[in-house]
Amino acid sequence: MAKPQELLEDNPGKTLLLLANEAIARGVLEAGVRLVALYPGTPSSEIGNNLTVMAPHIPNFYFEFSTNEKVALEVAGAAAIAGVRSMMVCKGPGLNVAADPFFSLAYVGVRAGMIIIVADDPSMWSSQNENDSRYYALMGNMPMMEPSDPIEAKSMLLEAYKYSEMFELPVLFRTTTRVNHTRAPVTFGRIPTLPQKVEFEKEPFRFVPIPSVARTRHPWLLKQVEKAREVSETSPLNFTEGEGELGIITCGVSYNYVRESLVEMDIQAEILKLGITHPIPEKKIIAFLCKHKRVVIVEELEPFIETHTRRLAQLHDVSVEILGKEQGYFSRVGEYSPRIVMEALCRIINCNTPINWEEIDDRARKIPEIPPRPPLLCAGCPHRATYYAIRAATRGKAIYPSDIGCYTLSIAPPLETADILFDMGSSITTACGLSEVTDQDVVATIGDSTFFASGLPGIVDAVYNQHRICLVVLDNRTTAMTGHQPHPGTGITGMQKKVQALDIEEVCKGLGVKYVKTVYPFESIAGLVGEVREMVKWARDNHSPAVLVSKEPCALLTAADRRREGIVLPKYYVESETCNACKRCLNRLSCPAMYMNPETEKAVIDETLCNLCGTCIAVCPQGAIKREAE
Amino acid sequence: MVRNNSNTISIAISGVGGQGVLTLAEILAKTALAEGLNVRVGEIHGMAQRGGHVVCTIRIGDGAKGPVIDAGTADLLVGFEPVETLREIHLIKKNGCVVMSSHVQYPVAVSMGQAEYPTHESILRSIGEFTDRVIEFDAMDIALKSGSSYALNMVMFGAILGTGLVPISKDSALRAIRESFPKRFEKINIDAAETGFSTVKSCL
Ligand SMILES: Cc1ncc(C[n+]2csc(CCOP(=O)(O)OP(=O)(O)O)c2C)c(N)n1
Ligand code: SF4
Ligand code: SF4
Repeated sequence: MAKPQELLEDNPGKTLLLLANEAIARGVLEAGVRLVALYPGTPSSEIGNNLTVMAPHIPNFYFEFSTNEKVALEVAGAAAIAGVRSMMVCKGPGLNVAADPFFSLAYVGVRAGMIIIVADDPSMWSSQNENDSRYYALMGNMPMMEPSDPIEAKSMLLEAYKYSEMFELPVLFRTTTRVNHTRAPVTFGRIPTLPQKVEFEKEPFRFVPIPSVARTRHPWLLKQVEKAREVSETSPLNFTEGEGELGIITCGVSYNYVRESLVEMDIQAEILKLGITHPIPEKKIIAFLCKHKRVVIVEELEPFIETHTRRLAQLHDVSVEILGKEQGYFSRVGEYSPRIVMEALCRIINCNTPINWEEIDDRARKIPEIPPRPPLLCAGCPHRATYYAIRAATRGKAIYPSDIGCYTLSIAPPLETADILFDMGSSITTACGLSEVTDQDVVATIGDSTFFASGLPGIVDAVYNQHRICLVVLDNRTTAMTGHQPHPGTGITGMQKKVQALDIEEVCKGLGVKYVKTVYPFESIAGLVGEVREMVKWARDNHSPAVLVSKEPCALLTAADRRREGIVLPKYYVESETCNACKRCLNRLSCPAMYMNPETEKAVIDETLCNLCGTCIAVCPQGAIKREAE
Repeated sequence: MVRNNSNTISIAISGVGGQGVLTLAEILAKTALAEGLNVRVGEIHGMAQRGGHVVCTIRIGDGAKGPVIDAGTADLLVGFEPVETLREIHLIKKNGCVVMSSHVQYPVAVSMGQAEYPTHESILRSIGEFTDRVIEFDAMDIALKSGSSYALNMVMFGAILGTGLVPISKDSALRAIRESFPKRFEKINIDAAETGFSTVKSCL
């Protein structure tokens, strides 16, 4: 909620409470970055959300929400090769999408600084995996930095651009959810003026990695990494602090937990905090190992630094006890906390934890069962109406390949319309595979943003190979899950320019889909059920893909519009006398705005939560749900 | 045992996505920063926000390096809803203070008859296993009387300051509210915070 406009202020020395993502958006300005391209993904999304508001106000700056991460990396990579500072941002799985250009970029290198921000998500707060992206740096030979908090997120970013330019290599800037989504006081620095357009100087035998070129670039790359290591050895981003017999090597957010733990436990230790985690400062680590008999490695997810450290100890014959994940002191799963660090340190030095956590856990276990409250589709979400119709039309018997977005929440009862999912775009392609080897109807669903990001190749596959799949595109006019970013179907760009929106129905037709219709889920549920039935029949009869585009804006957008414009619409309510407490509305629709009043034992609509979609009216067999007169 | 960073106060706020937990955490922390205090806020975005359970953490003081609050370390637990308070009760430290709104928002699992909402007495009993310092009132009622259910988080803001546990003056809090929201919601928000403040004060 720090306003993006505040991030634009040319006011060095000013301190604001910023998320690391906001600090990075500010860092873009202070580093003189000329171009940022990204596809949104939590926990990195607020970087783009801020930049898109800031972008039109920054002279010579260009920002785009790219179609997907591969596109974003290529757009940003080319800019840095042309000679301006650039940035690409993604969540962990986004780097998988961009992996192909990632490896080539390291081979060809860049002429101006380039940062690739990858936000990993230990504990998977909003991701499909908690893979550790740091191995990309290792595999691709790309330098890497890991900030530990919002303050470092900005200061280290400025250093990362210098580092990138020193070695003509992009730098992978790896954050985790607890860095991205932590707020801390961040102090502004100077904003330089951005360069005008540059002239692209041709150098095809560097930038076109045909085998003969690539063969020269690989040794070059390895040499650059070794040069980068020399700087890593002396860089203040890799520093030691404190004193003590015990040594602790740490990086990223864990560094904070280590510091808090030492204070809480009232013990001494020397910390080696690594900011540059590739190439690691080998000499510095060896010297650190030689100084201590026991060294504990504290890092979330994989034993990345730990493995390096063990390798170095072996290579240089240092006799030191290295303690970490290999002996089970730390887990490879989930995020850490001061408690996790303290419990491990207490086991290592053989003392009691400062708080009796076992006792607290015991007490917590004795609490009688608490009803779960998982995330779910919002009250008035158009996806709910569409899924209700899909399920009703196919009586729950079809296979429902799903995709990534708010709509994946339809996995929960009573909608239960998510059966298989790998990654963005897989709804269409898994449907293709399933339709060939089963005899069941296959009704896939995909969001509008995901459709553009990675749905198109699947559609081409379905058309050309004549897969009898049904696809419902849930066109809620936004990328809702990640915070309502525009996409090519919305008609707004990252620069806030109004442009011609791509029409999903036209796109499908253009790709050769013979059966495409646009439907409106709030118009008539019965009508929608009929449309789904017809589509399913057509796909079967014609052995070809059929598509429905279900178009209705995200309820949060409509609600925000109403609030902004002060519009008050007639309310929905349950007529108590007519409601016979059959609970069909609750059991079939699960709208969070409805509940059973425990006293009257009748359904009620909580008017503070209802988003006025009207879907429940169609679900009630008694006609008990009504709308107030205008 | 000596708690060396006792100069740090840890506040956990628990509620339902959409109730304004994140906004409250930010505005509270911003006010602390304006008073010259070091602060960290831990937020959860994305999937975790879609009407599900949400927790936010605020840590104020020099000892605050990271945003995380472990079990048994929160000085103050602020619950926007009874079961959501109970869900995070393990965070509270011995004799820590709980401020809870009694207004119930039924989880869908309860509406669908797949789970039961615990009785009020059983919720209070379980909370009582962790601490005796519990302040309870209907914050939704105050919000609605102030003019909007959206002011719920400002009622809780006032309530937090009413405990006297957070080193922030009411004046700077009210200033922060004025600066953070559009003018036309100002009266509603200020009234909500004032009433939250006085309600909790009168409970002490
Ligand atoms: C490779 C990858 N990139 C980005 C994301 C983050 N992400 C999650 S859902 C989503 C798209 C949501 O938009 P849409 O498909 O329109 O569905 P909606 O949430 O609006 O219902 C994105 C980009 C991801 N999970 N994986
Ligand atoms: S209560 Fe009915 S009208 Fe209101 S949001 Fe839920 S389904 Fe829509
Ligand atoms: S944010 Fe929008 S699309 Fe997502 S669940 Fe809510 S209403 Fe549906």
